[in-house]
Amino acid sequence: MSDHHIIAVIPAYNEATRIAAVIADAQQYVEKVVVVTDGSKDNTAEVAEKAGAFTVLHVENCGAGAATMTGIEAARALGADVIITLDADGQHDPHDIPSMMQPILDEEADIVFANRFGQRNAIPLIRRVFNGMGNIVTFAVIGRWVSDSQCGFKVLGPKAVEEIDIRMSGYEFCTEIVRESVQRRWRVKEVSTKVLYSEYTMAKGQSFASGVKTALKILLRSFLR
Amino acid sequence: MNITAYQIIAPLASFVAVVYAWNLVFRQKKTVWEAMLWTLFWVAIAYIAIEPDSIKYLTRVTGIKNRENAVLVTFLGILFFIVFYIIMRLEELEQRQTRIIRKMALHNKGLDTDDEE
Repeated sequence: MSDHHIIAVIPAYNEATRIAAVIADAQQYVEKVVVVTDGSKDNTAEVAEKAGAFTVLHVENCGAGAATMTGIEAARALGADVIITLDADGQHDPHDIPSMMQPILDEEADIVFANRFGQRNAIPLIRRVFNGMGNIVTFAVIGRWVSDSQCGFKVLGPKAVEEIDIRMSGYEFCTEIVRESVQRRWRVKEVSTKVLYSEYTMAKGQSFASGVKTALKILLRSFLR
Repeated sequence: MNITAYQIIAPLASFVAVVYAWNLVFRQKKTVWEAMLWTLFWVAIAYIAIEPDSIKYLTRVTGIKNRENAVLVTFLGILFFIVFYIIMRLEELEQRQTRIIRKMALHNKGLDTDDEE
């Protein structure tokens, strides 16, 4: 495929019913899949292990950001120089990985953000509103506009893999990655991707209350940093 | 024009805060954007201290008409800041806990990484 060591990182919390399919699809495009089970109460770890993923276990639930960073650390230790992050609930289509990878392979970008709003996707209005608010808050505190800043589907190139350091534990890590891209002067590209929203993914996503909490944490941290 | 101690201390404190913010930018701990927001905030504080009349509009809107009210609002602001600071400290503790859990998780898989910080 390329000279790069490509590893997919999937943070997962109680995703036993979905994770196997996501791993199977991702395995077609990467050398290894690292799943971080973030204090899951179900058998996500066993299912992921059985599906052939390298599984890392958080003994307590620490949040999506913490699990993602653990996965990145594991992938680094396993020799990755390109890392793909994916959600475990199956909302991202791993078949988009090649198009997401292209700007990294062409050495045009250090980080590639997926854009779920760049093509005709059936996205519920409430999700569009939440994501729009996330984009605005991100822009207000960081000063860089990313069309889908809150999406978990990203590709990190060699420079980003080496430098990234996520400190935020929860969903606000997406904004922190945008901040990292500004702070560390990464070249950024956005690629339109498919997204599949189901009742399941809607139920797993952020509620309005957690969205507000996330926004407040982002604002606070940027102010007091 | 009578210059009060507050009109000297507030701009000086603002100046120190702005210098500190830009110092963090040069140490790559803050982005230029964050420093600009920080600067804007502290310049506004300094300006209001030097030109108290500039917030007549706010006086009209908020009803703060005398010094006693202003002192009360100032202390409310300080209390807010303390609460925010405590939240940040709690978050730091949470981060420390996350780092421990991460180290355990990686260690259990034989992936010990270099210590950070």
